[in-house]
Amino acid sequence: MFTKLGGLSLEPKSVPPPKRTGWIGRGNCHMEKATIDLKRDGKDLSGRVHQLPCCVKHDGPASVSHYFKPKHKGVGEDEGLPLQEAHFRGRLLQGTTLPLPHGYSGFVLSKSSPPTSDENSHSWDTKATFQDITYWNHDYSPSQNDELFRAFHWLTVAKALHNPVTPEELASSSVTL
Amino acid sequence: MGSKILPKWASKPCVMGIDEAGRGPVLGPMVYGCLYCSQSYLKTLSTLSFADSKTLKEEKREELFETLKLNDSIGWDVDVIDPRELSAKMLKKNKINLNEISHSSAMGLIDRVLKMGVLLTEVYIDTVGDAGKYEMKLSNSFPSIKFVVAKKADSLYPVVSGASIVAKVTRDRALREWVLDETAENMQRNFGSGYPGDPQTKSWLEDHKHHIFGFPSLVRFSWGTCNSYFKDAAEVLWESDNLDEDGGGSNNKNGKRQLKLSNVGFTTSKRSEEIESSGKGRCRFFQARKLEHLTYF
Repeated sequence: MFTKLGGLSLEPKSVPPPKRTGWIGRGNCHMEKATIDLKRDGKDLSGRVHQLPCCVKHDGPASVSHYFKPKHKGVGEDEGLPLQEAHFRGRLLQGTTLPLPHGYSGFVLSKSSPPTSDENSHSWDTKATFQDITYWNHDYSPSQNDELFRAFHWLTVAKALHNPVTPEELASSSVTL
Repeated sequence: MGSKILPKWASKPCVMGIDEAGRGPVLGPMVYGCLYCSQSYLKTLSTLSFADSKTLKEEKREELFETLKLNDSIGWDVDVIDPRELSAKMLKKNKINLNEISHSSAMGLIDRVLKMGVLLTEVYIDTVGDAGKYEMKLSNSFPSIKFVVAKKADSLYPVVSGASIVAKVTRDRALREWVLDETAENMQRNFGSGYPGDPQTKSWLEDHKHHIFGFPSLVRFSWGTCNSYFKDAAEVLWESDNLDEDGGGSNNKNGKRQLKLSNVGFTTSKRSEEIESSGKGRCRFFQARKLEHLTYF
């Protein structure tokens, strides 16, 4: 099955409890509860998660492994990215595989039937995990300027933002102010 | 591809014929073939029983091809254009049509033979598109060669008749020996001639169409023939299909066009059905990376 980017969830690998409950606030102050079960015992889809440069109006299984046959094409001349080629509905796609950064995993979630009948409660189960994403462009080579490539910058920024501040850093910051 | 060592006759004025096979079929490769010999050999060539490949039976073509390969006074070469390449070029954002592909293939053969050191002085070729324009295009690329671009060149000139045999046999063999990329269990190889009107080909297309993937990649997806089979398949929206539509796309910072799915009738307010993340409403960092803040799912 092709995976849409919106369906992916990137979570730090080091989450100690397998189950996490989050309270998500909305504008109208109505609280929603969502439960995500980040188990790792599902299927490993590494090497098999693809983002296509088109909209396929289909949601469900497809015989991907029998029909979608990417071929490795060495290294691109411009930026040294490892290149792949594939064809979909006759169009040439050029792609590259992006490994997820160290400490991160990809999860494919599916909504599960909730144990309670609480309408405001949503439960998500892990169907599979992955460690990389292959994204494809139509008609032009993958580039570090592509949106998905640049989206990973956020992980670096987020890490810096969420690092704990040491007392020494706090003290020196106070002195500076 | 003939002998790698340049024969002595090739350094004297030579004549080449060029012809294609497999232009019209909806599947398999298109093949451009060429045949060349010295000017002085032309009379002998015309006494051989070459004829337009379309008027010969397959067995006769095969026999003539083998004879041709053994003839030290004749050189030949082919350009086999994969159906995936045909589809890919014809479905590019900046589309390349079949005539352009044909012209490039023919000119590629001439260039290849010249680079071998053959002294080409005349080339005979069937017209593709406007004969005058084609001849001008060829002459601009190869000023030292006299070109004859004519309809039915394969019937009129022995070097073109020979080239048509080279091209036709090569295509037939390529199709006969084709290894399908697809590994699904129901793959059969009874393609027929590959022409859209062939009942066997029609039957093969019907049996091998796929809801998501369309067809095996042997098929030329850019052919109009395929559209009727796609009516029942899952719809696929591509940016390059909407370039002519007002507001159908816009340029992002890198000058690449982005498809706005809401402008092609794909609008929904349901979260789970949205396709494209946009980062709308967020600061520039997130918009540039199409990162939405997903607070509810």
